Amino acid sequence: MTSIATDTTGNGGPYSADSPLGGHAPVIQRAGRSLPFGDERHLQAHQWLVDEAYLLDAQHYADWLDLLADDIHYIMPVRVTTAVGAGFDAAPGMAHFDENKYSLSRRVARFRTEHAWTEDPPSRLRHHITNVRTFATDDPDHLVVDSGVLLYRSRGDVREAALISAGREDLLRQVGDGWQLARRTILVDDSVLRTQNLAIFL
Amino acid sequence: MTDLDTVLADVRLGMIPAHIYNDEEIFRLERERLFSRAWIFVGHESEVPQQGDYVVRRVLQDSFIIARGEDGRVRALFNMCLHRGMQVCRAEMGNASHFRCPYHGWSYRNDGRLVGLPFHQDAYGGDAGFPRKGQTLLPAPALDTYNGLIFISLDPEAPPLPDYLGGFRFYLDYYTRQSPGGIELRGPQRWRIKANWKIGAENFAGDMYHTPQTHTSVVEIGLFREPKAAKRKDGTTYWAGNGGGTTYKLPPATLEERLRYVGYPDELIASMKQTWSPAQQDLIGRDGFMFSAATAFPNLSMVHNWPKVEDSDDVLPFITLRTWQPVGPDETEVVSWFAVDASAPEGFKALSYKAYLMCFGSTGMFEQDDVENWVSLTSTAGGSMARRLLLNSRMGILEDGTPVSPALTPDQWSGPGESHVGYAEFGQRNLLARWADYLERPASAPPRTSLGARSGGKGEVNGTSPNEGGVTHDQTMTGKAATA
Repeated sequence: MTSIATDTTGNGGPYSADSPLGGHAPVIQRAGRSLPFGDERHLQAHQWLVDEAYLLDAQHYADWLDLLADDIHYIMPVRVTTAVGAGFDAAPGMAHFDENKYSLSRRVARFRTEHAWTEDPPSRLRHHITNVRTFATDDPDHLVVDSGVLLYRSRGDVREAALISAGREDLLRQVGDGWQLARRTILVDDSVLRTQNLAIFL
Repeated sequence: MTDLDTVLADVRLGMIPAHIYNDEEIFRLERERLFSRAWIFVGHESEVPQQGDYVVRRVLQDSFIIARGEDGRVRALFNMCLHRGMQVCRAEMGNASHFRCPYHGWSYRNDGRLVGLPFHQDAYGGDAGFPRKGQTLLPAPALDTYNGLIFISLDPEAPPLPDYLGGFRFYLDYYTRQSPGGIELRGPQRWRIKANWKIGAENFAGDMYHTPQTHTSVVEIGLFREPKAAKRKDGTTYWAGNGGGTTYKLPPATLEERLRYVGYPDELIASMKQTWSPAQQDLIGRDGFMFSAATAFPNLSMVHNWPKVEDSDDVLPFITLRTWQPVGPDETEVVSWFAVDASAPEGFKALSYKAYLMCFGSTGMFEQDDVENWVSLTSTAGGSMARRLLLNSRMGILEDGTPVSPALTPDQWSGPGESHVGYAEFGQRNLLARWADYLERPASAPPRTSLGARSGGKGEVNGTSPNEGGVTHDQTMTGKAATA
């Protein structure tokens, strides 16, 4: 058994609970250490993340939307550089994404119009998913999953590609045979983003 | 580079040499002649509400600590240790009583005063070698505020901020003073785009023409009901003092009904009526125009829109302020804040924040399509063919200068400056005409500050007599360097 100390927050943190738009969000948290990699729940969670990454790479956003729970909270705080001991590392009351199912559905709907110029021609995307750790919760229908994501985004022919690195914490909910995403926190590793916009999802 | 006089003359005619959007030489002149003199927005007092609160902001490469001291005053302190030039604050925001340089341990109070100098006696012979008393981090050469908006200028001779803003203050109030307490700012989101800074500033200053085309998608998905082509051209573009912007024409109604139409709650409407002048109220209530995008020269832009944030017919207004911070001729850091009236109900603030995120900022659905265009423009402006092309920026005037649509009369437009109904590029031309005025005037040598040098002493750098504390500023900062 691993000797790594139990980490109660991982990539999650207080951001979803603290958001002025997080009132509807599920509050279930991880319990205990990460599950062994051979655990069936970990295998399912890992496969879910990799399958989802494909949908995001291919910009199959309608299919992606079907994976999201109706009460989803999808939040990407604005990270700030603070001194050790400051007690915070994100801009208070501000995020890049702070979404519910409706606002995500508008973003997806926009890409399906013929006038979303920023993705026409589309970016070439690759979401590299790594460092996947799965945690049980007090509710057998929910898992918490930490992962790292590195997005490579290339536009046009010779423009410098954009890289976005982030840690994520997901709350997965079992629905029938599958899983839905009920909460996602995206801890981007840059304070100043080096991409022209976030017309992509992480 | 093409002769500067020719470039500026073309710009003043509304014929824009395309290379000014990606040109090293032009950028050097902008740095030396424009950003070293103009008033630059760096933040809002609400970002540092408590004693000791600070944020760090840049004007091009110069880093300033915007800090509220124990005396309650907000200062802008050049973030460079007086000894060896380290940044004394390497965080972006926080609360601190002191800033201590990590290099040799010199430390400064949050009002800039030098209070710690290790081995002062042993190393310098005490005050005989380096008079410590009265030394401070360099204050911004000029600092002033308007509605709590903090501006600094690197020019100690900058005109007073109210004079600089001039008639644009009338319009700035709509965004930043909806009640006596004014706004609170949140954020900023920051991201870098491979686009020249002027493009965004011009766009917000008057480009109604792009809205129906660039932003078709946000109308199609039901996010924003207004910017259909037929509707957008009924609005106006205006310019007053050192800023200008765009408006929408609203359906016939009273002031209250029109503010309700864009989603303001009754509490806030009551505050606006108490806060805005009769003329400011008339522009909306009598004339029927609602403020939309605007730019204060050179690089502070703002937006007021009212999208649908849920699946209903209700709309919610939001305000964003942002600076287009130049990084280089082909790169800009967008610094984008969400602004909301500080006295607004919390539920309104939350939904207004939601409206901002859906429309503007790093994830905003309006902003995404804008930036795609601007990156593309900047890229092509860097080549040699762009030096042969003068872009026509004369929309709204005939060849002899006669406006296509005459300026509105005082009976039709209660605000200062000049306003025209319909698609036109008055705002862009006004902005670039001021840009030309700054670029035309050679920079004078900036005043220098030398520390601890005594008049007539060996190694003296600065010829003026030291003041009591031994710090020599060529200009007095009194009354300009701080605000209550």
